[in-house]
Amino acid sequence: MKKLVSIALALVLVLGSVSLAMADMYISVISKGEQHAFWQAVRKGCEDAAAEFGVTMFYYGPPSESDIALQVDALKAEMDKGPAALALASLSTESVMAELQACIELGIPVIGFDSGVPNAPEGSIYATASTNNKNAAALAAEEMMKLEGFVDVLSAATPESPVVIAVLSQDATSESVTGRTTGFVEKMAELAGEIGTVAVVGHDLWAVPADDASIKIHVEISATTGIGDVTNSANAVLNMDGLLAIFCSNEGTVNGLLAATGDGSRLAEGEEYGNIIVAGFDAGAPQKNAIRNNWFVGSVTQDPYRIGYLAVELAFRAASGEAVEDVDTGAKWYTSVNIDDPDIAILVYD
Amino acid sequence: MQIPKNKVARKHFSMQSLLAPAALVILYAFFSIFGNRFLTMSKFMSILESSYYIGFMAFGVTFVIITGGIDLSIGTVMMCSAVIGGVAFRTWGLPLHVALIFVPLIGLIFGVTNGLMISKLHLPPFIATLGTMMVSRGFGAIVSNSRTQNYPAIGSADEWFKHVFFRYQNFPIGVIYLVVFFLIAWFVLNKTRFGRYVFAIGSNEEATRLSGVKADNWKIGAYALCGLFAGLSGVFYAATYTTCTPASGNGEELNAIAAVVIGGTSMAGGAGTMVGTLIGVLIMATIKAGLPSMNLQQPWQLFITGLVVIGAVLLDNARNKAAAKARIPTKG
Repeated sequence: MKKLVSIALALVLVLGSVSLAMADMYISVISKGEQHAFWQAVRKGCEDAAAEFGVTMFYYGPPSESDIALQVDALKAEMDKGPAALALASLSTESVMAELQACIELGIPVIGFDSGVPNAPEGSIYATASTNNKNAAALAAEEMMKLEGFVDVLSAATPESPVVIAVLSQDATSESVTGRTTGFVEKMAELAGEIGTVAVVGHDLWAVPADDASIKIHVEISATTGIGDVTNSANAVLNMDGLLAIFCSNEGTVNGLLAATGDGSRLAEGEEYGNIIVAGFDAGAPQKNAIRNNWFVGSVTQDPYRIGYLAVELAFRAASGEAVEDVDTGAKWYTSVNIDDPDIAILVYD
Repeated sequence: MQIPKNKVARKHFSMQSLLAPAALVILYAFFSIFGNRFLTMSKFMSILESSYYIGFMAFGVTFVIITGGIDLSIGTVMMCSAVIGGVAFRTWGLPLHVALIFVPLIGLIFGVTNGLMISKLHLPPFIATLGTMMVSRGFGAIVSNSRTQNYPAIGSADEWFKHVFFRYQNFPIGVIYLVVFFLIAWFVLNKTRFGRYVFAIGSNEEATRLSGVKADNWKIGAYALCGLFAGLSGVFYAATYTTCTPASGNGEELNAIAAVVIGGTSMAGGAGTMVGTLIGVLIMATIKAGLPSMNLQQPWQLFITGLVVIGAVLLDNARNKAAAKARIPTKG
């Protein structure tokens, strides 16, 4: 009996040490949220990569994209667990500076994803898996320019009755949203600048004043990310004189604009906003509905699944000591015509 | 000669009931003249449409505030109810009309819980409803797995939801519900025993109890009704905004409470009108729609709405003081 017990004990010890040695690598993923369909696709990508590479993953998303404090707290809590690597999509880079510095000292590799962590302390971010937001939003400006009659309207505009092209954005802090706003504004200013005088108005960050501008690019930033406030901003934009087109820079602002226009139905031809051209960003059921009905001219989609997958893959590789580098996960323009094409359909999640 | 007490009261009442509507008319006229494209049908519709969910919450919380209490949970209960209705529809696969029953029901459950905690466990209303505010925020996120719930949009399957609760062709259907439920709330507050006890509890709870009224039970009723209205507002929130985000809705209760206060209901309890609340809701919505038409960016709207709330209470204080002064001769 004694022998049996000692054998059993030895077995437990051996098995225990083996399982300890084989314990999965622990990787923390701190994202920007879980509510939007976009983030659910990111999470799916993270989970699949975690399964593929055999790592234990913890995924955190704050309740809303305004909850900067909660995200910082979650980041600190994860750092205390001593993860092999960290993947981070920061709501505000400035608010995590101290933590990133600490990660360097603790030797925790950090992988940026989605908006990434721009202007991070040198050496803290090993690589970033993200959409190049400027290029992605510039795509919307290019596609708008290609629309039949768009250039004609811009050419016909005069300083006395200028044409307005508006950008509706949720905030002026997050890198992805500011990057998109900048990308759209710069590209549109460049293309429209060949046709007439362009002024950028509405928000100090982007303002480019011009006398006698016949084309105005208006940047509207909502006071909070709450849908009531975003809807209110959308109403303010819809109210502007000479409004030709609106670009909504994320799913949140798309939902706000949809709420202001009866799910987009008032953008239909013949309705009161029928002449206004709207382009969106990302996907989600209400936006896809607006695209299918041709109420939106089109939207830019990223590849959220790939962003999530690469975030965990890069984290795994960095933690294993491999060299990693930035990956642009790409963006595509989709409309009612190609929304069901296989290569688009997998990107436009509900 | 004695001045009959009720004459002073009536005079006070008529001042109060005229001031808020006058403010609404002046605001509307002001924005119509100085705003850009304010006096349009679509602007009018957007004023109405942004009032629905605030309106329902405000009607309900008017009862609670008149009892001298407060309900801080209505904003998050509204969202929690709407989110759970969305889960019932999208995840549990219930038909939409069945899933929609969950929405007011969840609100009612939270309301009854608040009432029980306040009446039977003697928690201060502020604390009890602060607790349910957090509980409902978390609960909605737990049930939905933190996922945003989308209700059917116009132009998609089950679009009848929008036609029945939001807009049919170009008619704002929601306004019919707003009026009907306003009339119900008005009737309950002014023409029923429940309404009389709500006022009595707010004026002097102890005296009400001593005169043989089961004040505790009526108070539970007030919170239950408030919860039910918060749940109903969830239906109209979903109809207006389509997208319901878990763990949000906090802050909306303050919009509703602000509307009640602007409408002249006293936070001390015992005094208030349902008409005032309706006007308060419309004033808030008019400001919300009007300031952008003056090209004021959004932070200004929050700023000015805050000033209006403070102004409304100051005005109410001044009125009460005047009324109290007028009452002095009645002693002699």
